[in-house]
Amino acid sequence: MWSDSLLIVFISICTAFLGEGLTWILVYRTEKYQKLKVEVERQSKKLEKRKEAHGDSLDKQHKKKIEREEERLKNNNRDLSLVKMKSMFAIGFAFTALLSMFNSIFDGRVVAKLPFYPISWVQGLSHRNLPGDDYTDCSFIFLYILCTMSIRQNIQKLLGFAPSRVASKQGGALFGAPSPAQFK
Amino acid sequence: MSAKNKSSDIANKGKSSVSLWKRAFIANEEWDDKEEFLDVIYWMRQIIGIILGLCWGLLPLKGFFGLVLFVLVNAAVIYVYVSNFQNIDEEEYGGMWEITKEGFMTSFAGFLVTWIIMYTGLHSGSLL
Repeated sequence: MWSDSLLIVFISICTAFLGEGLTWILVYRTEKYQKLKVEVERQSKKLEKRKEAHGDSLDKQHKKKIEREEERLKNNNRDLSLVKMKSMFAIGFAFTALLSMFNSIFDGRVVAKLPFYPISWVQGLSHRNLPGDDYTDCSFIFLYILCTMSIRQNIQKLLGFAPSRVASKQGGALFGAPSPAQFK
Repeated sequence: MSAKNKSSDIANKGKSSVSLWKRAFIANEEWDDKEEFLDVIYWMRQIIGIILGLCWGLLPLKGFFGLVLFVLVNAAVIYVYVSNFQNIDEEEYGGMWEITKEGFMTSFAGFLVTWIIMYTGLHSGSLL
């Protein structure tokens, strides 16, 4: 059982590197992506500074300027996700195939023992395709998801591919209506 | 020329990352760049997650209690580090909640993986 769980950790490290490597070849190294990323980061920082500086003033001119910059940032963010999207689809397909292959290899095998009793909506995942009613038995998919969650993000951050906090904060705010706190 | 620039860039990067770790353990350090401080919090969290996972697996701690204790210890260590050791004004970072959230999910996943694997290897009774 232990060798299975260690093997799954190893598999997820490999797939994380493979995924990042493929994304680097298809997206990160392209000039268009790099240009857009720098631009989005610069604009996000500028926007945040402007909001901090003029947040309190109810000056219409400043508000208009902020709105205009938000609009520009929104467009750049959209372009950035478009650049990413095509290759993400390709990688997504490849990984779905890979995952279903591993799934069939580990089908019905208990790969680990959980030290806790999972809550009901997690049981569907942690006990997927496993025989018996012992819900502390752990399936491949549950351990694989946990490994990927921790390993992939850390590798992204280590290699410097993770989006910066300012950009994701500003980007996230653009999807919803601007909260009143933004203009404080 | 460009190769020379590149190598000096890399050298600078290395230097700054070493000093970042040194700075993380200096009390009341000034943090001009918010991102740097949040990075320190992020990586600290990941290390805490793995260490706690190892400890919980070795003891072994079991059940819901183990999960809750992890959340409490993790949040408490970061809180003490931020407010007592570094004396940071949390409002600058958007409140304590923003700092508490930083890297939590990744650290939680890392903790679960190490806890489950240690527990499986040492206490589940079947190694094969």
